[in-house]
This record gives sequence, structure tokens and C-alpha cells, in this order.
Amino acid sequence: MTPLQKQGWAGLALLLLIPAWVLAASNTTFIEHPMIVVRELPPFLANPETWSNIGITLARVAAGLALGVVAGFVAAFVMTRSRFLGEVLGYYVTAALRTPSAIAAILALAIFKGSETGYALVVAFITFPYMAVGLRDGLANADRDLDEMSQVYHLGLLAQIRHVWAPYVAPFIFAALRNAHALAWKVIVVAEIFGAAKTGFGAKFEHAWSYMLMTEVHLWLLVFMVIVLFAEYGLIRQAEKFVFRWR
Amino acid sequence: MTQETRPSILKCEDLGVSYGAVPAVGRLDFDIRKGEFVAILGPSGCGKSSMLNVISGLRAPTRGRVHVKDQELFTPASKPPRLGYVFQSHRLLPWRTVRQNLEIALAASEVPRRDWEARIDEILSILHIAQFKDAWPMRLSGGQRQRVSIARALLVDPAYILMDEPLSTLDEVTARSLRQELTGICQRTDATVVFVTHSIREAVYLADRILILTRGPAEIFEDYTVPLERPRDYDDARISEVEADIVRRVQAPWGLSVEKEKAVA
Repeated sequence: MTPLQKQGWAGLALLLLIPAWVLAASNTTFIEHPMIVVRELPPFLANPETWSNIGITLARVAAGLALGVVAGFVAAFVMTRSRFLGEVLGYYVTAALRTPSAIAAILALAIFKGSETGYALVVAFITFPYMAVGLRDGLANADRDLDEMSQVYHLGLLAQIRHVWAPYVAPFIFAALRNAHALAWKVIVVAEIFGAAKTGFGAKFEHAWSYMLMTEVHLWLLVFMVIVLFAEYGLIRQAEKFVFRWR
Repeated sequence: MTQETRPSILKCEDLGVSYGAVPAVGRLDFDIRKGEFVAILGPSGCGKSSMLNVISGLRAPTRGRVHVKDQELFTPASKPPRLGYVFQSHRLLPWRTVRQNLEIALAASEVPRRDWEARIDEILSILHIAQFKDAWPMRLSGGQRQRVSIARALLVDPAYILMDEPLSTLDEVTARSLRQELTGICQRTDATVVFVTHSIREAVYLADRILILTRGPAEIFEDYTVPLERPRDYDDARISEVEADIVRRVQAPWGLSVEKEKAVA
């Protein structure tokens, strides 16, 4: 698919949203008309407080995701190196995968009293099993032929990691990262709401909802979606395109 | 210098490989000298892969000794041999360009970086693939990929080159052209080659000597010197005669019979 075609599909998706939104707005009291939201968007974006709250949530997601990725890498590495640890850790990872994110958020925030560490740990706890399982599967399916080739040509450990293993597991890492990233955003909002945070996207969303400021609710939701879509299509998929340019 | 007076490159003495109680390689004794092109011919499952794993340094033998030049392998003090390996499939890194694949092998062989460019250009032009230097392996045909694999093997100043049925996955036209080039390149570079094949005709066309193995566990049934001068023509009647001679010799040890061949045909 050409970039122009991709943009065409994105435009069509946006166009189809507008009539659905208008229809929903005229049939409920909780959904604002798109025109009202669009009118309020410039002052909303011009407000420095908006950006500061977005920045806070972004920092929490980034910290938690980074922690989750590192923990996932360590867990996957340990699981593939030792059969005993692989079997034992496997149960923990599966349990973590199945833990409802809201419960993890409440528990972590109760323990860490709504501190920044608590937010990062919630995101890390929910995202790390995705990274661990993805990477473990990648390493377990590693191409033995290439492994043999790198031994015959005496590639050192670093060269093997850089030229053979890392590119080989890259598709597994990206698939896991996409899942983890999507989940991280959902979890942070839940955590910010449950953690009675004063700042951040979830806190502002909760505040607007409590006071029935429906335009503000929509504005926060809109900004949230734009950021998530930008991170997915503008960052992760572009990085993926670069890494897989050989295909 | 005659072949007998050339230095020994790869020498195996009483080599044996077993997997638990199951022997894969019975007993192998052979000596390959500098510049020799030696084909290994044996029936499927006779233990050729086990033998290759040992002489490539990947796996220690269960019994016997392997010497590369003057050094004995698989001792605590020995270093693994620097060799080129052309596998049945190309085994190039698909996420690296042709040039990068070659550079990785050069870096691992500790060739000074300043020499890389010239060496890569030279070897790619010898193999007629200079125009694909910056191409991704996926964009190349099977024959071109195997040429890159041969280039990688030649590039690292190998003590010897192992080739494990490198032409068996190619179409006949490409395989013929590569066979012809391979003999020229090996003579030009004075490379020592151990070439594993199932094809008797291919062995006769390419090799100076053919080590004919028995059915597994592999032992050398005959160390056969190919009685043909170079250059050779793949369609030459003399190659057919030598091929027929070898077929006659291996019929008994390989359990072949005219009836069986007819049945297969």
C-alpha cells in the first residue's frame, strides 16, 4: 500500500466518524456535538495546563513502559537460559498476564500511596508479561541455522546479539511492544482515576466527569486518542518500518 | 610443487562420532593438502553431517584427532579453525545487505577494516555479483545468494572451505554455471575445498580426489583420485566413464543393484 493510499484510508476513517458522532450527539445528553468540541479545542490547546497534564501522563507511561520492557527482557532471558526458571517463572508470567489491570492498579496505588513509583509500577506490572512472552517465544524459535553460521564464522557474543539474535526476535518484540503500549495507556488512566491523582490525563478526565463538564471530557478524550494514535502510527510503526526495511 | 609435497591442511586420524551408544561416524582417516579439491561422496544418512560438524569445529569427536595445519583441534589450548563454510542453503542474514553480510564475516576474522572495501569489491567481481553489493539478500535469486555465500567463505582467508551440497537446491542451469566458475575460482585462489555431494558426476567434475564413504556409520571405502586433467567439460564422455566406474565400485557397499535402480527410476 502506498503512503497516499494509507492517508486515504485514514481520512475515510475520520470522515465516517463524524456522522456517527453527530448521530450520537443528537440522541444522548452525554455526548457533545462535534462542532462544540471543535470550537473549544483551540483555547483548550492554548492552555499550558493541558500540556503539563499530558506531559505528566506521558512521563508516567514512558517510565512504566520502559520498566516493563526491561523487566520483560530480563524475564525472557532468564526463562530461556534455565529450564527450571523457565518453568517456574512461566507460571508467574501467565498469572500476571491474566491479572485484571484495574485490580493491579488499585493494589499498587494502595501500597505506594499514589506516588509516581506506584504509577510506574502499575504500568510495568501490566506490560512486562507481554514483553516477556513475546521475547521468550522469539528466542525459543531462533533460527538454528543462522546460529550455526555465526559459530562457524566465529562471531563474538556481541556481534551475535547485534547481527543475528536481535534482528531475529525484532518482529516478536514489536508485536509485544504494540500490545504493551496500548495496554499501558489504558492502565495509566485507570491508575490515575483510582489513585485519586491530582495531575495527569486521568485526573483531569475524572474531574471533568465529576462536574459534568462534557465538552472538557470530550476534549481530553480527543487529545488522548490523538496521542495514542500518534505513538502507534508515528513512532512504533515508523520504527518497525525502518527495522524491517529489508523485507 | 606436487600435491604430495604440499603442506597438510586438514588431517583426521581415527575419527569417530557417536550419539550415546549410536555410532554416526565409524572411523575416518584422511589427509587433505593445500589447494586440493576433495569431494566427499556417501549415501544419505551415512554420517556426513556429523563428520562436517567435527571438521568445522562445531562438535568435538567422540574418538580420534583432527589437525588443522600444525594445530590439533579440540584441545584446551587450541583455537577453532578459521574456515569458510558454504551451506546447502545460503544462510545469509536477510536483514543485512550483501556488503554487510561480508563485512560481518571480515570483522569476525579480524581482517583490518581498511582492507574490507577492496577485498569485498574483488571477490564480488570474481563471482560476477558486484552490482548487488548493496542489495538485500531477499532481492537476489537463489544462485546469486549462493554466490554471496561462496564469496563470504573465500573472503575470510580460510584454512579450508567446507561446502555442504551447495548446489543441490539450485536449478540445473544455475548449478552448471556455478560449478564451472567454482573450479576456476578455487584454482585461482589456491583454495583447499572439502565438497560434500550426493552427485557422483558433480564430484568427478569438480574434485581432485573423492573420498567414498560406506553406508553409516561412515568409514572411507575408497580414496579415489580422479584420473582427469583440467579443465574439464561437464558433458565430456570421459566424465561419464569415470562416473560409471565409481557407480560400479559403490554398488556393493551402498547396497545398490540394477533392480533397485530400475525400481527407483
